[in-house]
Amino acid sequence: MSRLTGFLPTALARPFAVIGGVLLLIAAMLPWATFLLNDGAYPDKATLQFFDAPLELTGYRWNVLLFGAAAIIATFAPTPGKARVLRALGWGGLAISAITSIFIAGKGGGLGAITAVDGNYAFGGIVGVIGGIVLILAAGAMPLPDIPHWSTKVFGLEGWAGRIAAWVALLIAFAAVLYLVQLTLTVGGIGGAAFPYAGPVFLAFLGFAGGLLGALHGMGITGWVSRLSEENRAFSIVVLLLCAFALPFTEAGSQYWMQVAATIGVYAATAIGLNIVVGLAGLLDLGYVAFLGIGAFVAANLSGAAASTVGWNIPFPLAALLSAVIAGIFGAIVGSPTLRVRGDYLAIVTLAFGEIFYRTAQNDIGTLTGGASAIPGIPPITMFGTAFNEPITLFGTELPTGVLYYFLIVLVVAAVMAVFANLKNSRIGRAWIAIREDEDAARAMGIATGKAKILAFMCGATLAGLAGAIFVHKLGTASYDSFKFLESVTLLAAVILGGMGTIPGAVLGASLLFVLPEKLREFEDYRLLVFGLALIFIMRFRPQGLVPDRVRRAEFAGETAEGKSIEEIQEKAVLEQELELEREHEAPSAPKEAGR
Amino acid sequence: MSAAARHSAADTVLEANGVTMIFGGLTALNEVSLSLDEGRIVGLIGPNGAGKTTLFNCLTGLYTPTRGSVRLRGRELPHDPAKVTSSGVARTFQNIRLFPNMTVLENVLVGRHIRMKQGPIASLFHGPRFHRGERDARQRSRELLEFVGLSNLDDEVARNLPYGDQRRLEIARALATEPDVLLLDEPTAGMNPQETEAARQLIFRIRDTGISVVVIEHDTKFIFSLCDTVSVLVQGEVLVEGSPETVRDDPRVIEAYLGKPREEVEASLTEAAATGQVVEHGANGGEEKDA
Repeated sequence: MSRLTGFLPTALARPFAVIGGVLLLIAAMLPWATFLLNDGAYPDKATLQFFDAPLELTGYRWNVLLFGAAAIIATFAPTPGKARVLRALGWGGLAISAITSIFIAGKGGGLGAITAVDGNYAFGGIVGVIGGIVLILAAGAMPLPDIPHWSTKVFGLEGWAGRIAAWVALLIAFAAVLYLVQLTLTVGGIGGAAFPYAGPVFLAFLGFAGGLLGALHGMGITGWVSRLSEENRAFSIVVLLLCAFALPFTEAGSQYWMQVAATIGVYAATAIGLNIVVGLAGLLDLGYVAFLGIGAFVAANLSGAAASTVGWNIPFPLAALLSAVIAGIFGAIVGSPTLRVRGDYLAIVTLAFGEIFYRTAQNDIGTLTGGASAIPGIPPITMFGTAFNEPITLFGTELPTGVLYYFLIVLVVAAVMAVFANLKNSRIGRAWIAIREDEDAARAMGIATGKAKILAFMCGATLAGLAGAIFVHKLGTASYDSFKFLESVTLLAAVILGGMGTIPGAVLGASLLFVLPEKLREFEDYRLLVFGLALIFIMRFRPQGLVPDRVRRAEFAGETAEGKSIEEIQEKAVLEQELELEREHEAPSAPKEAGR
Repeated sequence: MSAAARHSAADTVLEANGVTMIFGGLTALNEVSLSLDEGRIVGLIGPNGAGKTTLFNCLTGLYTPTRGSVRLRGRELPHDPAKVTSSGVARTFQNIRLFPNMTVLENVLVGRHIRMKQGPIASLFHGPRFHRGERDARQRSRELLEFVGLSNLDDEVARNLPYGDQRRLEIARALATEPDVLLLDEPTAGMNPQETEAARQLIFRIRDTGISVVVIEHDTKFIFSLCDTVSVLVQGEVLVEGSPETVRDDPRVIEAYLGKPREEVEASLTEAAATGQVVEHGANGGEEKDA
């Protein structure tokens, strides 16, 4: 991105920004496909003729129109963080247009589908792509402003008035978040044979959401909201919980989406647990899903399922607790080699543990896992006389099957978040972070690093075990196949993608990584390819994760697009080299140092 | 040995006896003895590669000496850095080793780790006692930051501090462990004269709080104006030990730092040429440019 800076002379920045915006507007109104695709008409009237019905624009075309209009307004109006806003709008427009065009061209059998065939013209996608690029170039020609820092005193109000104003602002912000979550879940509908366009529609929507959030971030609004919510922590937590409970009452409240949301919740809880190990203590764990599996199999054996060998039937809360504890014990066992190995070697040890668990479960060693035939027929959780797989009626609304699991998992995720936050802001959490930062220095501060590392593994494993217990009841089957290496990698990716060491990061990462495959179903074999590409792009352009830690944000700040950073990095490298040389001079200490 | 014997055991805080450290075939330290009296400042100088940092690593349990013992108030120190710190020996590092991505305050709070009592359960539930402990720790940490002259920088990320401030933060972090003995490894490396003077005053103030200090430094002027006794380490052995004046005037120290006078070197070279041997002579004078 930094190479695009200064590509245009500054004088041309404004005209180009306007041209980009107008191109996006025109693109929205041009037809996007020359003919009806074989799988049925592309959504949002892609074959609509030029200006046929400008007021009936929906979906991605409406989003492109919105970005075009916003770009033009932002160019002329005194917008805070103007260049950043324009850049985000440009990237958003580019992403929407490119994704849609590529898909239509792919399905329609070539470039003809998005250019001209039999006297039909459809240049919407191409114009959109050009509009996006022009906007990005225009933004690159403007001086890059700092992200504005808005005061958390809303309208400068103080005392109670200020607090209420802040609450109102937060309510609006969270309602918007709820709406965005609901849209993200349902946009494009359920993928698969029934609706072949769910994938691209969803990806294009992600482009829109990304552009929108980028623009809001550039204006300093997301930072302002997050500071507001930090200052009104209790209020924010309550409202966020209410929002989570309100989700089933929105359009996303169907059986399918509730199931997806509950699955996301399970993985989010697991990812937060992994975040303790990886994000806080800095221990790379490649076999983490095994703890989810241990929790799952313990719960399966205590659920009274006919197929399980133990076959005890104990109340769910107790079974969940036992699952968590037993997973925690295994966590301590796996953690103990960490006393001797570091870094890459630790990753290999954990990888091996994950594989041992997988193979043990597959071969039913100890007859606790059912082997290849798994443990089917696990009854649903039953509490207070209600089976969790029944639909319920709340406030006069019939809520679908699975909604109780969703509510339960919301509560569990909230509890797991509280555990993570409390541990992070304590003596123990600081010790973990210190170990991550510099293990030798941490030991020199008197921290018993061995104990602390085992404790980190234990805490992470306990949370995963708890999640596993819910997972297995929700699914009804405990199969070794749910706990393969790929799952560990995906969880790790969720943590790193979302932002190491933060709660929203882990939740967002888990949501993305477990929604994307669901949404990209009709890409079939290509979906993992698309998925992988998405990961590479995010990591290339946002290495600190989507919701970075306050400190990691600072760490990467210089490297993103600011330009001047290169010299700083070089300067630092030279300095480090000098330090290294100095250390080598102090020869006798070298042998032990090298082993570090 | 003789120096250690001169003092009565009562006011000797830290005592290293015959410490030998061998890495493979390399003898980094050979029978090094050092004693530190209550409320004193001892300097450790010597050319690069003399084994000063190695000695620190032996004193703090990072290395287990091949032979010899290290005692704190007459009790043998364990060979575990964490336990050594709990016993009351804190250190800083030659190439600053803060926790770069933690804030200034958090760095000092990590130093408070061993003086805090919160276990996993308290950390999980954050009860009233947890909050009290946390508040006290923060209070104490802020006092220490003020003591070293880093007030109002609590939430700054450590890596963003200027070099001199990072050194002071490292000292504050070490002080947070409530040590009896503080080991400073080149505390003024890379500092300008004003900062060096401030560091000197800071070390005096630390001494005045009752903490005994050992300082490694290349800057001989700094060491001679700071320390009560100075040990000169050359090639893993204590060459000279005594008051700054004695050490400064000792011809062997001058030789170790600056090399022999030209005539002598030429004489020995001629001799070597005559006997066909290569003569290795002491360390170079490169250190002096730091001073």
